[in-house]
Amino acid sequence: MMALVESLPAEFLPSFLAGMAVNFEIAVIAIVVGLAFGALLAFGRLVGGALGGLAASLIALMRAAPTFVVMFFLLNAIPRDAELFGMPFALSGVMTVALSLVPYSAAYVADAAVDALRHLRGGTTLAALLFLPNVMRAFFVLVMSSSAGAAIGVTEGVTVILRQAEKLPALDDRLVLFAIGIVMFGIPLQLAFVLISFIQKRLSRAAMRAPAAGAPQSGP
Amino acid sequence: MPSAICTSSRSARLARATDVPRFRRLVRALAGIVAGALIVLGLALSGAQAQVARSPDAALETLLDAARESMPASCAQADADRLVRILCAKRIRIGVRDYYPLFGTRTGDKREGYEIDVGLSIGRMLGVQVEFVRVNAATRIPLLAEDRIDLVIATMGHNTQRDSQVRFIRPHYYQSETVVVGRRELPVANMTDLPGRTVCVTVGNGSNAQLVSQGARLMLFDEAGVLPDRLKDGTCSLAAQDDSFFANYFKEPDFSAAFFPKFGFAQVPWGMAVARQGSEQLARAIDLIVQVFHRDGLFIDIARFHRVESAFLQVQQRVWRSPECNVDTGSTNPSCILPPLDAALKPTSFAPEVTAIENWAAKEAGIDLTLPMLKTAPAWSMFQEGVLNSLILIAGALIATFVLAVLFGAAMAARTILVRWPARTVTVVLQSSPIVLTLVIAAAIAHGLFPYSGTVALGAAIAALGMANGCNAGQALAEAVWSLRAEQGTERARGTAPGMLRGSGLFARALGRSATQIVAFLINAAKGTPIASFIGAPELLSSLTDITSFASGRVTTYSLLLVFYTVVVMLVVWLCGKLGVYLEKRQARIEEAGKVTA
Repeated sequence: MMALVESLPAEFLPSFLAGMAVNFEIAVIAIVVGLAFGALLAFGRLVGGALGGLAASLIALMRAAPTFVVMFFLLNAIPRDAELFGMPFALSGVMTVALSLVPYSAAYVADAAVDALRHLRGGTTLAALLFLPNVMRAFFVLVMSSSAGAAIGVTEGVTVILRQAEKLPALDDRLVLFAIGIVMFGIPLQLAFVLISFIQKRLSRAAMRAPAAGAPQSGP
Repeated sequence: MPSAICTSSRSARLARATDVPRFRRLVRALAGIVAGALIVLGLALSGAQAQVARSPDAALETLLDAARESMPASCAQADADRLVRILCAKRIRIGVRDYYPLFGTRTGDKREGYEIDVGLSIGRMLGVQVEFVRVNAATRIPLLAEDRIDLVIATMGHNTQRDSQVRFIRPHYYQSETVVVGRRELPVANMTDLPGRTVCVTVGNGSNAQLVSQGARLMLFDEAGVLPDRLKDGTCSLAAQDDSFFANYFKEPDFSAAFFPKFGFAQVPWGMAVARQGSEQLARAIDLIVQVFHRDGLFIDIARFHRVESAFLQVQQRVWRSPECNVDTGSTNPSCILPPLDAALKPTSFAPEVTAIENWAAKEAGIDLTLPMLKTAPAWSMFQEGVLNSLILIAGALIATFVLAVLFGAAMAARTILVRWPARTVTVVLQSSPIVLTLVIAAAIAHGLFPYSGTVALGAAIAALGMANGCNAGQALAEAVWSLRAEQGTERARGTAPGMLRGSGLFARALGRSATQIVAFLINAAKGTPIASFIGAPELLSSLTDITSFASGRVTTYSLLLVFYTVVVMLVVWLCGKLGVYLEKRQARIEEAGKVTA
């Protein structure tokens, strides 16, 4: 293993870190857009009536749309010379991946926001604050899911690992490299989950009788 | 004597009598000679006139004169041929590539390349200005059909499939073959080395179908110009494109040192093209112009100027200088022109009905519906296979997730740390691995054990999706087991325990308690199945990507794909919801029975 680590080119680590920065960039865009859309959908659901039904249907559709297919849809369905309000609307690879994650993030945010708003209405403010760690959890799921960009040539973390792996002829070496990649992705992720768990426990204790966070949502 | 005189007198009379016919004969002979000479001269003149009329130059002049004579009256006619419209507008719109080194490149407003100069030469022959319009492999035919360009000169290979979409100009103006390029150290020597490998190609390239039929996975790009960069940065390990395109790059020492043309296939002549409708005279005019360019060596001059390989053009010059071909009918003479590459795909038995539906949708609803997966036999077969494999993949991923959830749950709920901690470690590792990486690892191990095949890729994808989701669901199940044990411990301490649940009883109750989480991860597994295409699993996304690489209709195709997967996932959500309700009711019954027993 040490031989492999030593044989890795000097630019591997900087490239990988730059790739991981792209993963975070994609996740930030997806969660910001998701927060905006999700808030609107949550508001619609709480209003009820026809608007509530429409919002619920949209959330169900967005929850069911697979990220990978949405990504290919955006990539192929939007012409390269498309315009929006008279402005060029050509999506970059990063934006394509980020927007493909929006249905998931918006649906997740909508569900979490509905729970939070109901808690707020019920007077359990601390339970409503569980919205924040839930959004944080979604953010890290998005970081991991942004590796789908490897399929369309976006240079994110997994892409850097796969490009390096292609240069290694032996399966053993490739598996060791993949393991290094998992560790490098795993450290921030597990730290984040520990932090989320800590925040949730503190909020739950503070809320005392406030219900625990809802059931986990499926990923993108 | 008298007789003699008489004879002589008779002779004299005879002499007198015979002088007239001789004169007449002389006159007749002279008249015949003159007439014959006139006939010969006339024939000679008419023959010479016919020879002039049969040259492509004269035919072109006649055609252009006729078109100009009809102006300006014909300029306003809606059904005027494009040639007339071009002459009226004094402008021809030519579709060219923006980024195809040596043939068509653009730097700011400056365009250059072999095809650019050919386009300008055609404009000069027609006496009109040239307006260049950017096209790529995917847009060059639609732009012609939409009347946004008059002529396309854009590295387009002439194959039988495209013959039904555009009118190709004959003779062809270039010829190339598709070459597969990769790093020198990559062990690829021919088509048999391609199965399981990803080849970067441009959408609409005529040779894509051949690559797909050999088991290669395709990564699609709109522009050929990005392929060398994608090879250099490692996005593509192999790229397939015309040899003419890579020729320029192989002149670069760095590129040549790192990459090598592995093999070539699908030799194809390049043709300019015009729209099939309303361009008869334009097509004829450009046929003749191209003939003249070949004969006069203009193509060779332009090619040499741009450092383009000219061997094909030299052969063509010899052909078009020959008396047999240097006539106005040369472009229709099979011994002068090259046949198109035979790339016609066998249509399905219901292709006419599909076309009728497409036309109806366009006419009645204004919807640009294109269903390439239903129109040709190979595409239809790939589509069916893709749907079937997707359903197998989804079913397999659901089963694998559930089974592995139970196994992980049992292991993580075990009282001995020898079982519990390895299971937890594997769970943490799987949670820390992006799903794409998990899939790649599964595929690498599977291909290390078995030779590459679509079935192996499907199996690896099912295992990866099952592991990734099963471990999370198993964790929820184990937590439910531990929480039940804790509750039972508390109740026993209080002396209110209704009866200790152990083994399968406890596990069944934990299954009910963690039903919501398990269902969430089952749905997640179903949603994740399209990612399997990344490792070459022949599911629907993979199949449709292959189909759209050689057919049109990307928007419709990917819209249908999105609808298919969304509907299937919603169906899975509904079924899983039923499963969740069943498990929760079961748990409620068990708890009720427990209370009754207590």
